[in-house]
Amino acid sequence: MRRGALLAAALALAAGPAAATEDLVSGLSQDTVQITSNYTGTDIVVFGAIEHPEDVGRRDVVVVVRGPDADMTVREKQWVAGIWINRDQAKLIGMPSYYFIASTRPVGDIAPSDTLQRYSIGLANIAPERIFSHHDPAPFRAALLSHKQQAGVYGETQTGVEFLSPTLFRAAIPVPATVPRGQYNVEVYLFRDGTVISAQSTPFFIDQTGLERRLYNFAHESPLSYGVSTVLMAILLGWLSSLVFRRND
Amino acid sequence: MEIYLPIAEMSVHWLIVLGMGGGIGFLSGLFGVGGGFLLTPLLIFYGVPPEVAVATTSSHITASSMSGAIAQWRKRAVDLKMGGVMAAGGLVGTVAGVWLFTVMRRNGQMDLLVSASYVILLGTIGGLMLNESLAALRARRDGAPPARRAPHLWMHGLPFKMRFRESRLYISVIPPVLIGFAVGVLSAIMGVGGGFVIVPAMIYLLRMPTNVVMGTSLFQIIIVTAAVTVLQATTNFSVDVVLALFLIVGGVVGAQFGVRIGARLRGEQLRLLLALLVLAVGLRLLFGLVLRPDDPFSVTTVMP
Repeated sequence: MRRGALLAAALALAAGPAAATEDLVSGLSQDTVQITSNYTGTDIVVFGAIEHPEDVGRRDVVVVVRGPDADMTVREKQWVAGIWINRDQAKLIGMPSYYFIASTRPVGDIAPSDTLQRYSIGLANIAPERIFSHHDPAPFRAALLSHKQQAGVYGETQTGVEFLSPTLFRAAIPVPATVPRGQYNVEVYLFRDGTVISAQSTPFFIDQTGLERRLYNFAHESPLSYGVSTVLMAILLGWLSSLVFRRND
Repeated sequence: MEIYLPIAEMSVHWLIVLGMGGGIGFLSGLFGVGGGFLLTPLLIFYGVPPEVAVATTSSHITASSMSGAIAQWRKRAVDLKMGGVMAAGGLVGTVAGVWLFTVMRRNGQMDLLVSASYVILLGTIGGLMLNESLAALRARRDGAPPARRAPHLWMHGLPFKMRFRESRLYISVIPPVLIGFAVGVLSAIMGVGGGFVIVPAMIYLLRMPTNVVMGTSLFQIIIVTAAVTVLQATTNFSVDVVLALFLIVGGVVGAQFGVRIGARLRGEQLRLLLALLVLAVGLRLLFGLVLRPDDPFSVTTVMP
């Protein structure tokens, strides 16, 4: 929650009294994504503008999107008695289930590493609340990052924020079909010469909709009826097929 | 058109899933087997989480066995009493199997449990079948009658005897209950019906007449796989009804074509083909266990 408090402080700073200070406004192309049966992924567009820009320094915009927190277990296969089986493991509590970052240039060039770490900006700076492991967690963490990147739920584009004019910017956030449901937060940071001068956070929601949602709820809320219904469906279809394909013998 | 599987939480093309169901249905019709032992690995290779693959395949087998059992019922080739006794053992077996499945899943050893069970079972069954079908082919060529196995007389001394009229047997209930139990465990762990274990066991161990073997095994498979589906749905939430629907529809249609083609081929050749197929799937899974994995790390994500 340290990060949340910092963000709130940054927001308070940005909402300071002087009307003429440099500020940030941003919005999203949509505030909900409904995962329907034929959902194959979409983009959400973040757009924004710098208000009252002062004519000093170099500006950078960083967009960070975080999905709902999840607990992740990373297991490592080892060679035991001729076969490869899961042996060592690390459990990372409170990792974002989705993380995407876009910036105007590589974040390492934008701000010093302690600033990036403080705001959890960049894949390297995602920190779980707790790690349980009997071993050095670093390789497990690295494996987790590469797995999530391959799955398309962690991503980094170093030039993803595009300035359309000196004050107007946009960035596209990919939302693949594999993302979990829940609340996502889009944090937009305005840097000037390596310091955060303004920040804004906007949520959007990802939800399963229609039949899929109802089936998911059914399976989790009344699993016995769900299981029995599935069996009845199977028995009915099996019986129907024997009627349809009844052979004359 | 892509469809979203609500429990597997992935998008698949409906034609691919329908085709998988159809292909496995075709093979099961061709060889007269349930096909679960092929469908579960196929779904896993395709990227369906192993727990969803195992649990959903159970409902697929319920449907295909239902279709076959009705055909046998019309021919009065089902021993309900024997099927019921085996299913009683089978139900206890499924509870034990689902429990084992849940424990191994919690410890991150579920993949190992599924793969290792498949390698051992497919290797054994495939090897036995290959051996037998080669011997039968050789015998046919040499013109000698196929070898008959000696009856197992040891089980006639066991208590709790019961009369099974359709099977023309008066035997202890202990062997059928134990066979049912073992198959129930396999069914829960591997998402198979277990026909390839029950049928030989009925013929060689219980010495049931071959005309009631198929119908009776299908009858008991329906009960056991239905129980596995319900148990997996309530303990592991891993039954995907959308996936099941497409697999079943593909499967029952494919099976009809398989049966028609199968009727034109000779039994020994079919068994040889099936043996090779079983061994190939077993070897593929064995390679997965013994070869150095490309990536030794795996990640499990749980939303709290």
